[in-house]
Amino acid sequence: MAKRDALGKKPLQVLEKIRENLEKLNEKMEIMIELQKHGKKEAQPLPEAPLDVMTLLSMPDHLRKTAMTVCRLGRATAEDVAEQTHRARAVESAYLNQLVIMGHLKKERVGRKAYFYVDREGQG
Amino acid sequence: MIALGKIIAVHSYKGGTGKTLLSLNLAATFVKYGKKVCLFDLDFRAPSLATLLKIEKTDYWLNDYLNGICEIDKVLIDLSERIHDEGKLFVGLANPTTEAIRDMSSKDRKWEMRALGRLLALKNSLVKEKGFDYLIFDTSPGLQYSSINAIVAADLVIVATTFDRSDVNGTKRMLRELYDLFEKKTEIVLNKVLYDFSPKFGKEELKAKMEDEYQVPILGIIPCFCEVLKSEGKTIFAQNRPEHPFTKILDEMAHKIDDEV
Repeated sequence: MAKRDALGKKPLQVLEKIRENLEKLNEKMEIMIELQKHGKKEAQPLPEAPLDVMTLLSMPDHLRKTAMTVCRLGRATAEDVAEQTHRARAVESAYLNQLVIMGHLKKERVGRKAYFYVDREGQG
Repeated sequence: MIALGKIIAVHSYKGGTGKTLLSLNLAATFVKYGKKVCLFDLDFRAPSLATLLKIEKTDYWLNDYLNGICEIDKVLIDLSERIHDEGKLFVGLANPTTEAIRDMSSKDRKWEMRALGRLLALKNSLVKEKGFDYLIFDTSPGLQYSSINAIVAADLVIVATTFDRSDVNGTKRMLRELYDLFEKKTEIVLNKVLYDFSPKFGKEELKAKMEDEYQVPILGIIPCFCEVLKSEGKTIFAQNRPEHPFTKILDEMAHKIDDEV
């Protein structure tokens, strides 16, 4: 009770904040792993790789499923994608961030939510 | 009955398997049963729908929509009056001029990516907002960009195939390496079937044998009808010959699709 007063928040809200921060940390780690895999320094801009059908065909199955779902939905959170693919939200979050690093998707944060989309008009 | 309309892509491995004939007659069959249908010619390398339907000029082609020049409603041509049936038939035509074919053959990956986005957007603009029951994409054969875009945007892929050995092998390869990868619901139409060549099989046996060979459902088996070939695509056969066996087979196929969705 004393701790609750000290923080001025309900324990549930605190836990929610911790979860959110852990997710952000996870995303950053995934980005670092991917950048390391591709032998790139963080300062380098992300490559732009059009998400056309031939690219989709050449992708590993697990990423294609995620990429196709974003193509269909237009703009989606990891939760939206997970709902369609019936895979865990955290798994989709990892795949979506991987697709961002590969340059196939763009990511935009609006408040607490991260939206992923294909930048069809911006490329080229 | 369905709550939301569907996009059907009619595709094949080889040319000359009867995709356009199948697409046009399937569209007319759906219209006969009161459906609101739009048929699109996505064979930009060899457009044929404009010629078949005797439409020489239009303000906007499907090419213009994919090029981002206009919205889709400018492209649609209402042919409902020609059909005299309960439903509505619209078409979106590919520009058949040499210049347009050359232009469409020289598009880059980024353009193709945008074209895919525009095809996917039809689900909203036509199916959800305008209440179309079916959008039918008549595609070009093989692994062309425009065809794969159409397949990705579709809910159901109908593959028209013949008994030609190279067609059978190519179709089997596409089932494994294309439709499966995109997790598309796929069904086969065996077209131009010469029953004389397989006297030991009845229709059901042939269907079972081919389903075993392709490992996907057979939507229909269409024998090689001389009358259909003789009509040379000058008329919409299913509309003009309602009692012909070809029309009956198309009826069965349309009902199967409607029941499935």
